[in-house]
Amino acid sequence: MFERFAKDAREAVVHAQDEARTLGADRIGPEHVLLGTLRTPDTVAAQALGRLGVDHAALLTAVRALPAHTIDADALAGIGIDLETVRAQVEASFGPGALDAEIGSAPTRGHLPFDAAGKKLLEVSLREALRCKHRRIDSGHLLLAAVRLDDTAAYRALAAVGVGPAAVREAVTAVWADVPVG
Amino acid sequence: MSDELMTAAASAAEPAEGLRAVRSLRALADRLEALHVERARRLGWSWQQVAAALGVSRQAVHKKYGKRFD
Repeated sequence: MFERFAKDAREAVVHAQDEARTLGADRIGPEHVLLGTLRTPDTVAAQALGRLGVDHAALLTAVRALPAHTIDADALAGIGIDLETVRAQVEASFGPGALDAEIGSAPTRGHLPFDAAGKKLLEVSLREALRCKHRRIDSGHLLLAAVRLDDTAAYRALAAVGVGPAAVREAVTAVWADVPVG
Repeated sequence: MSDELMTAAASAAEPAEGLRAVRSLRALADRLEALHVERARRLGWSWQQVAAALGVSRQAVHKKYGKRFD
């Protein structure tokens, strides 16, 4: 699907590797891609979030403030623990998303894979592009996808800096109006 | 982490798989601990009470959570 990615979205995905590593993650998640879109100020996402007063530094601070996520459901399933059952119990007493955040992990070398949410983000960005009848996926679509996936660290980091889905949609649309996309 | 979970983690066949499970259990335990400490503090528990319930020193629990849940 990367062949449909515009230059700024490709670069965001490349930067996402560094972002993940900097944050000590062993997979690329939506928050890393989102941070990747903000590495350079001229991307659609950076311009849109800039209108909302959010830059890379602000978002990085917000992501760092979120507890990370190193709970591997597959590994736990391997020892007979169903993470979804645990999650349901925890959320019943602590509220939605209570489990999605804990202490960071060690830095990793080599090429990092996307985690499930990261893959989902790419998939949803494609859907956003189709919905907008755009031929290319740019960083604006990645940002739109991030605010659609409300169970991700990307979404929570944006929420932490006071940016919600409606504001993001408006800002991205405004940037596209200034700089038309394919 | 409970003994049962440790036993379960120890039973994984592949080292990588077992280690990943241990790490996940630790992360899960850390997360649960943070949730419960936060709740206890909100309900007015002292750091001493929280520490005693967790079986650690008051200093240890305060150092770990003091900034977050004071």
